Amino acid sequence: MTGKEVDLAAVNGAARASSGVEHGEELLAFTETLMRGEPATAERERLRALLSAEAFVDLAAVIGSFNTVDRIADATGIPLDPMMLAMSAEVRAQLDLARFASSANTTTV
Amino acid sequence: MADPGYGPYAVRDEIRAAQAALWRHIAEPGTWWAGAQRVAIARAARDADGCGFCAERKQALSPGAMRGEHAGDASLPANVIEVIHRVRTDPARLSRAWFDAVKANGLEAGPYVEIIGLVAMLSGVDWFARSLGLELPLLPEPRPGAPSRYTPASARDHGAWVPLIAPEDAGGSEADLYPAGAIVPNIIRALSLVPSEVRVLHQMAAAHYLDLDRLPDPTAHRALDRMQMELVAARVSALNQCFY
Repeated sequence: MTGKEVDLAAVNGAARASSGVEHGEELLAFTETLMRGEPATAERERLRALLSAEAFVDLAAVIGSFNTVDRIADATGIPLDPMMLAMSAEVRAQLDLARFASSANTTTV
Repeated sequence: MADPGYGPYAVRDEIRAAQAALWRHIAEPGTWWAGAQRVAIARAARDADGCGFCAERKQALSPGAMRGEHAGDASLPANVIEVIHRVRTDPARLSRAWFDAVKANGLEAGPYVEIIGLVAMLSGVDWFARSLGLELPLLPEPRPGAPSRYTPASARDHGAWVPLIAPEDAGGSEADLYPAGAIVPNIIRALSLVPSEVRVLHQMAAAHYLDLDRLPDPTAHRALDRMQMELVAARVSALNQCFY
């Protein structure tokens, strides 16, 4: 899509430093600390120094948005879309997504 | 939303408008729940964050085996409180068996979907505020009026737990529900048994993430670049253990 290499292990919490994404390590550290229910004060300040003011707000917006859609997906039992199912087999296997309980909603997994 | 105060942050007008629209939406009579009930649903979602039973159950190997009482507002039926608290605190382990039990206990699919929309979108605003290190915005005052009790005739079984409207069936009152010609993923169809929830979700998703018609374009992005956006989105979903 962009021609850049991204280490998918970062999605599962590994290979932070080598994610291949600019400020990826700091983005992941902030996201993980926050999602554990901690204030993430130090991680937030570090990111605010690295990102533009607009980009930091957009980071908060992405975190908010996916906390919405994850709940909708899990609570309505929607299956993965057929096109996405066909395109994502390798990524799903690499990330072992079938370990998540909600994979049961997509019957061909 | 009365000015919630975004502290030192320059929050885009599009996000401010979407969150204000959600606050009005929560306060107004819905399809199955009155305004006071919808605000009570939102309050119960906030209560779930401090619910001891939810915390204990989240640590349990099998959430279905746990018995206990939820903390907080008791003005809603116990079955409704159970749905709100589970969706707020432990959505990853919801199952078809759990949903069937909720229905067997008297909560029909329409009112259920409306609760899911409210709790999920409120949770998004709350995580936005937490990310910025801000207090959660005060909930709105309910507005008077009766729920419409509208059921779209075109909602059908498409393999989810709840009936959905497929884009090809979205005519009449639902003709505006999906962008013409766009690929509409299941996540956008998921709440379509209650079309008003989909309309607000569109505005929220477009403001906080991307417009549906820009999603397939890998160059579409915000002030964050697209790879940063997708890395954070994927990590949030992995931490939430969401397969979709």
